Amino acid sequence: MDANRLSQGQLIAAISAIALFIISFLPWFGISGGVVVQGVGAVGGSTNFSLWEAENPLDIYLMIVILVALVPAVLALAGGAGDAPLAPFATALLAGVGTLLILYQVFDTPGDADRKVGLFLGLIACAGVAVGGYLSMQEDVGGERY
Amino acid sequence: MLGGRLSLGQVIAAVGAIIVLVASFLDWVGSGGVSGGTVTGPGGASVTVPGVSGPSFNVWEIPGSVLDVFIVVAGVVALLPALLAFADAAEEFSFVSAATFVLGVVGILLVAAFLTVDFPGEGAERELGAYIGLAGFLVMAFGGFRTMQEEVVAGEI
Repeated sequence: MDANRLSQGQLIAAISAIALFIISFLPWFGISGGVVVQGVGAVGGSTNFSLWEAENPLDIYLMIVILVALVPAVLALAGGAGDAPLAPFATALLAGVGTLLILYQVFDTPGDADRKVGLFLGLIACAGVAVGGYLSMQEDVGGERY
Repeated sequence: MLGGRLSLGQVIAAVGAIIVLVASFLDWVGSGGVSGGTVTGPGGASVTVPGVSGPSFNVWEIPGSVLDVFIVVAGVVALLPALLAFADAAEEFSFVSAATFVLGVVGILLVAAFLTVDFPGEGAERELGAYIGLAGFLVMAFGGFRTMQEEVVAGEI
């Protein structure tokens, strides 16, 4: 495999997609609470949820984004980059919408749960995928690759 | 008026978008409730007890779901050619047909996942709105695909 076959946009999209996949296993949401038990005192606890543990279609959506972002890179590494002309556009579009959906979750968390680090890192990684897809589209328009 | 400016694919995509947007206000998740029955008391007297339906939720009421935002984005993109035609605007966006197709296909996958592996709540039931939404995304994706083909034939791509 030769990474030089990848354009700058494809590389950014692929690295961001891999980062997004890893980040999806970090805590995205958390629930904490406490009760005061007479004679015992305050008893508290908290539970964190990764993207996959939260009841939300966002996990399926971001999985699609990750796969779509990795397809051009895999095809380019396999020497068949011309087989997916719609891929850079689909990557930029879906990751852009994905960034919007995560941003929406920042302001509207499920069940008023706490925001955890994964949510913010996921937002940055998804925006990175969108930027990579957009750069890849520009490279295609410029005729540098196809 | 609009028929002359919109291609058949764009009309199909717009119809699909309207179906999805309308379906988003129908019930997608229901909690089942308690079924009714007849209670027979002493002396043979019977009382029919009506069933009690549980609360149902449309897409906008499902807590924490992002499907509502996705439906709005996909619907607006699919309706964009029709909206521009209504506004008598001269702008044409070449990427709209591909965007409609991509968002339609992803919408199909999201709703299919919602109905199967990602259904919220235990014991909840799938309601009609989810199936109509799935059909709407199918129509939208087909409309986007057909518009892309029409653009290829017209030599725009």
